[in-house]
Amino acid sequence: MSGKIERSIEELYLEDPERADARIFGRKAGTNRRGFLESAGLAAVGAAVGGAIPFSQNMPAGLIPAAFAQDKGAAPAPAAAPAAPKGPIHLDFPGKDKGLVVIGEKPLVAETPEHLLNDDTTPIDKFYIRNNGQIPDEAKDPDKWVIKIDGEVNKPFEITLGELKSKYKAQTLRMVLECGGNGRSFFTPRASGNQWTNGGAGCAEWTGVRLADVLKAAGVKPSGIYTAHYAADVHLSGDPNRPTLSRGVRIAKAMEPESMIVWGMNGKPLPNIHGGPVRLLIPGWAGSASQKWLTRISIRDKEHDGPGMTGTSYRLAIKPMVPGDKADPKNFRILESMPVRSIITAPANGAKLAAGTRDVALRGASWAGDLSVQRVDISIDYGQSWQAAKLEKPKNKFDWQRWTATLKLPSDGYFEIWSRATDSKGKMQPHVAPNWNPSGYGGNPFHRIAVLVG
Amino acid sequence: MTAIRKGRAAVAARLLVLAMTTSALSLPPGAASAQQTFTPREEEPEEFPDAPGREETFYFCTACHNFKLVAQQGMSRPRWDGTLDFMTERHGMPKLEGKDRDVILDYLEQAFPETTATPGWQNPFLKR
Ligand code: HEC
Repeated sequence: MSGKIERSIEELYLEDPERADARIFGRKAGTNRRGFLESAGLAAVGAAVGGAIPFSQNMPAGLIPAAFAQDKGAAPAPAAAPAAPKGPIHLDFPGKDKGLVVIGEKPLVAETPEHLLNDDTTPIDKFYIRNNGQIPDEAKDPDKWVIKIDGEVNKPFEITLGELKSKYKAQTLRMVLECGGNGRSFFTPRASGNQWTNGGAGCAEWTGVRLADVLKAAGVKPSGIYTAHYAADVHLSGDPNRPTLSRGVRIAKAMEPESMIVWGMNGKPLPNIHGGPVRLLIPGWAGSASQKWLTRISIRDKEHDGPGMTGTSYRLAIKPMVPGDKADPKNFRILESMPVRSIITAPANGAKLAAGTRDVALRGASWAGDLSVQRVDISIDYGQSWQAAKLEKPKNKFDWQRWTATLKLPSDGYFEIWSRATDSKGKMQPHVAPNWNPSGYGGNPFHRIAVLVG
Repeated sequence: MTAIRKGRAAVAARLLVLAMTTSALSLPPGAASAQQTFTPREEEPEEFPDAPGREETFYFCTACHNFKLVAQQGMSRPRWDGTLDFMTERHGMPKLEGKDRDVILDYLEQAFPETTATPGWQNPFLKR
């Protein structure tokens, strides 16, 4: 390269990648250094590589497009890298509590630490966030949002959200919504996916119509045995033909009076980040069945096989497998009802109590998928003895059940407090995450907090 | 820039072109603006465990999601291998074959091996 007056692309990039981008492709780095190609630059690079550039929005600024880099040299190393943040990353999102902990930023996933689930009704700002794809832009005219009902029905139709609100009887129910992967982080060896603790759950007041009323209007044929849900969020790859996620439920579950199409959350319009203007709410089952940004429900004559229904996704092993082994997809069945779970919402894990404190007031919540909770027990001695908590009744089916207890501590020092719920069929939370499966569903061990007295 | 580093970067670049030219994907209108609702924190390969293949893996996998989704896992090589198939079959990731696949699997296996450490509960009073 020496002796040349004109500098090569490589040299330009080595000197100052971002400026080189701007000069050669008109590509500007955004504040986040991940530049978007401007249209002219996009076309130029597209022509160079012989195709559209689906991932252009992910192409870091200053990364020399590979068509030019081939055999010649190198993509420059990124500028001095920031150190990875230590400890939990707290969410910074308009309208959301900064105490939420970010599990992933793209797609955006954030959980609610147990102590922030201390309200009887989870406020919107404290409600966990789970996205599988890109976050859609907020709908400009929510009442014009269209939902299509088709498949194994006698009268397929399209209905706007506005019509849905006026044509059907609305109801409001307080119900738990819980991510299918809640508790995944308790599996060992580690199960794959977002490492939720217990914070992929919340309990809000949902306003909408019964899904059954809408399906009855379409007239489900006797052949219609399963639903298939579709939505407006774009797949992370940017491919418009690839559904981000499309799950469904047995028709009997869809017809339950609490399965709803909802547009209201805690008396407010359903926020965009929670799937607004309109989503499904299939309580008791994995949250992914409650499709956000709902655009279509198709009735099928067989178990739905959309993305998220097959392999080991949202499935449990039929024949128990050796933890860590490679899974045989034939050995898996769909996860339906979520398992029983309890959390201690006060005090917080890590609380320091004044020396001499002997009485500790506990508050918590418990729920059990399709079932209710029969009892909650507390231990301060690692499960050697248990005491019953005072358990409240749910407001309606699928509501969580709040509980309280007063503990007597024997001394100052370090204590662990464990909570264990038992569902209405007598199943208890286990000591460890049970029935290991590669994607980590059904992880519901006791909740465990530590407090220090004095 | 050392020769090794250059070599690695060249593989990363080759992989990137592979990612860019797969199938007839086109950018849906609004796809770019959709992400403006939330700007993910910028990640750099240097934040993650240093081992051969880090840059190739980082740039290949972050075409769709953040690397933290990869880095929070801990898996045996057969499970990582299965994850690559899953990315291709379910999510449309360009199929990784031959040497490229080895480079990436080697890194994943070394940087994020199977672990019995569960991130789920950490004792808040442990002094680090
Ligand atoms: C074409 C897009 C694309 C590419 C490229 C891609 N992934 Fe993914 N990956 C996805 C999507 C989409 C998800 C699901 C995200 C979600 O639902 O939160 C995912 C999820 C994951 C998960 C979470 C586990 C699970 O079961 O959901 C892991 C681990 C993962 N990817 C690893 C990788 C690795 C390693 C690479 C690079 C070799 C890679 N991915 C490249 C699209 C991609």
